[in-house]
Amino acid sequence: MTGEYALIVKTADCIGCSACEVACKQEHGLPVGPRWIKVSADDPREIDGRLQLRYTVAHCLHCTSPGCLSVCPVDAITKRADGIVLVDATLCNGCLSCIDGCPIGVMQFDEDKRLAEKCDLCLARHDQGLNPACVNACPTGCIYYGYTSEIFTKAGTPELLSKYKNIDS
Amino acid sequence: MSDSNEEKIVKSYCRSCHGGCGVLVSVRDGRIVRIEGDPESPASRGSMCSKGLAAMQLVYHPDRVTYPLKRAGSRGEGKWQRISWDEALDTITGKLKQVKMEFGAESIVLGYGTGRNYESFLYRFSNLLGTPNVLTAGHMCYGSRIAATAITCGKLPVCDFDKNPACIIVWGNNILWTNPDEQVGVRLSRALSNGAKLIVVDPRLTFVAGKADIWLQLRPGTDAALALGMANVIITEQLYDKTFVRDYVYGWDKFVERAQEYPPEKVEEITWVPAEMIRKSARLYAQSKPACIQWGVAIEQTINCIDSNRILTDLMAITGNLDVPGGNVFYTPPKVRTISEFALHRNLPPEQAEKRLGGSTYKLANRIAVLTPKEVWDAIFTDKPYPVKAMLLHGTNPLITRAHSKEVYRALSQVDFLAVTDFFLTPTAELADIVLPAATWLEFDDIGDYMFRHGYIFARKKVVQIGECWSDHKIFSELGKRLGQENYWRDDPEGDLDYILEPSGLTWQQFAEIGFLQGEMEYRKHEKRGFSSPTRKVELYSTILEEWGYDPLPRYREIPESPISKPEMIEQYPYILITGARIPVFFHTEYRMIPWLREIHPDPIVEIHPDLGKEHGIKDGDWVFIESPRGKVKQRARLTTGINPGVIAAQHGWWFPEIKDPGHGWDMSNINILTDNDPAGYDPAMGATNLRVLLCKIYPVGEGLQ
Repeated sequence: MTGEYALIVKTADCIGCSACEVACKQEHGLPVGPRWIKVSADDPREIDGRLQLRYTVAHCLHCTSPGCLSVCPVDAITKRADGIVLVDATLCNGCLSCIDGCPIGVMQFDEDKRLAEKCDLCLARHDQGLNPACVNACPTGCIYYGYTSEIFTKAGTPELLSKYKNIDS
Repeated sequence: MSDSNEEKIVKSYCRSCHGGCGVLVSVRDGRIVRIEGDPESPASRGSMCSKGLAAMQLVYHPDRVTYPLKRAGSRGEGKWQRISWDEALDTITGKLKQVKMEFGAESIVLGYGTGRNYESFLYRFSNLLGTPNVLTAGHMCYGSRIAATAITCGKLPVCDFDKNPACIIVWGNNILWTNPDEQVGVRLSRALSNGAKLIVVDPRLTFVAGKADIWLQLRPGTDAALALGMANVIITEQLYDKTFVRDYVYGWDKFVERAQEYPPEKVEEITWVPAEMIRKSARLYAQSKPACIQWGVAIEQTINCIDSNRILTDLMAITGNLDVPGGNVFYTPPKVRTISEFALHRNLPPEQAEKRLGGSTYKLANRIAVLTPKEVWDAIFTDKPYPVKAMLLHGTNPLITRAHSKEVYRALSQVDFLAVTDFFLTPTAELADIVLPAATWLEFDDIGDYMFRHGYIFARKKVVQIGECWSDHKIFSELGKRLGQENYWRDDPEGDLDYILEPSGLTWQQFAEIGFLQGEMEYRKHEKRGFSSPTRKVELYSTILEEWGYDPLPRYREIPESPISKPEMIEQYPYILITGARIPVFFHTEYRMIPWLREIHPDPIVEIHPDLGKEHGIKDGDWVFIESPRGKVKQRARLTTGINPGVIAAQHGWWFPEIKDPGHGWDMSNINILTDNDPAGYDPAMGATNLRVLLCKIYPVGEGLQ
């Protein structure tokens, strides 16, 4: 089986509890500052004829053609054959280009280390066949992880797949 | 060589809020390296919230109090000296002996906040000491629910989410963010994904309110009127369970008469909820079988505390939803000693019980051995009805959580002797003479018994030892042994846990291996035994309240400080302030010092409608002052259309551990600076203080004051 991995959030089911954020911090030992996944409340809006509350969950989408990758002057950012986009800390020179290069603004920056960093889909767990930490922590199961060809269908939003594929444009 | 380099996983149970979630704690080289949900846990099934996941930063926080301290400067000056446990315990017991001899044991007040599962140990200690005075949140939080349901139907009826309710009412509750005492939030999510219809009663838009089939955005504090209006519809339209009403309720005719005083059109005027929506909700709830009501503490912290609880229980009863699968049920606990048995309430001499502060005024509070805080503050100020000379507070921060904080500050500063047991030097602890270092839930063995009303107990295990921290259990045991209670405490707390477990035939060690016990559930127990009330029926008309001289039927009382009861205030204080909306990453006053959590929620937030923002020149994110006749505090504005333009929702529990002076900013954003502590606003039977609904004004913080 081949394909590209990614992680998406079905925001209709997100209760805004931020458990994913802390699970991520714990898994990667992150300090205050970089937030590889971040939950924020939207303004209330009418959905299905009634006022509802939704949360935006910002995280790396491991894009088909990553904007961050294309602007990195030192080739510190790579996209693996399995779709996972990684920042190599040993190559990153802290130039911040990728912060602007990311079309959805989720590239993070560790001010102390002066390095760009972001979601690596919990590579260490991935290699052991485990779900990313955020997926396990989510109380409503609204974070979907797997092949891009499958997770949009699993999340009940197959129409978003093509939008996702064009996100780098 | 041992396998100390290998990761060991301990199965335990979280207690970062009221608990309930199974956890797997990974330990390497004697240090916790990861905390995650346990998929095998029966209630939570692997889910965790941010608070539990961040517990590593609580355990290893550099600001933890890790050894006993005594005051080295003047009261509240922030100067401390390290002392030994022996010196700390001898100082406390020496003072308690002296107070007891000179003034009587009643001049000693014990206290706790949410209670980290040591309530029965605390009461065991206080009852043996002979003081009837235990200051808790119980007058207006959960205890009041226990008391109200005890006199109505014997016990607290809990939503049976796992048995597919067809309709759920979530009433003043944000259960998805914080497990309440008797419930685990994710069970609601599961019930909803199984297709339950949803009615939400809340003055603010929450996630669940947005998801609801019907959202009733009521005027704050009018819950009892709304519920009476629903009862009115259910009676008028003959939607009640006629067999249940015939066989199992007491006082039907009088209840019907009372409900007739609340037709939907009148209730619309009181509550702002359109009459047609009241009818629709009543029909949906009464015609869905089974249906349950999940209610929150919001309805308890007003003058309508007991009657709000009673009328909701009455709705469950008359629709035939009590103790049926998927309704509101009485779970059967496992066979272990009950909290009240271990607490030795019967050992408190009757002549001492009679001295409980406010006991003759707030008779229902007295019945469950709790009191309202002002009675204690007044005894400190006036020595009436007798002096209060010493206080022992465990895991409670009343300076932030109780009504009218400035009064609390005066009282705690003035009491002769104050000992505080906590994880950190909180603003309350900073006023103490002695501070004892408490162990967190990862630092001692425990029986997670808070879920008794779910029918579970959980083995919570010691994973690490931090400094010289002790469990509260051990502190009560060791204090008790120094005060002549040695026959009542085992050598160590594990012996006490063995004693609690004895009826199950298990020792603590054996229980810890199993992990949890579940009682055998039996539904419709009333068909065999009736309900545990004086008439053996659900008392819509309370014979106990009647005997005590209170109104035996539930009714709605107007909030004492509202646009209707105090129209003369509106010009100066035009808005209704509500407080206490839940924050997912904090638990009341806790966790502002936890980096991962505070990063998510750095500032106190007050929600206002954009129209109101426009009127006062307040933009999203601006710091604003909120002011009542008691005082003013500042919080940051969030503009949202999820709230009525005349209502403002401020957060509670705020202090600033990063401010290093000993006050830690206790009066900067703490919303209880604004709340009132006038007994005229209390629930008459319970002494519940009004923390939730009052009048205020709001304006931008000027330049330079940010």
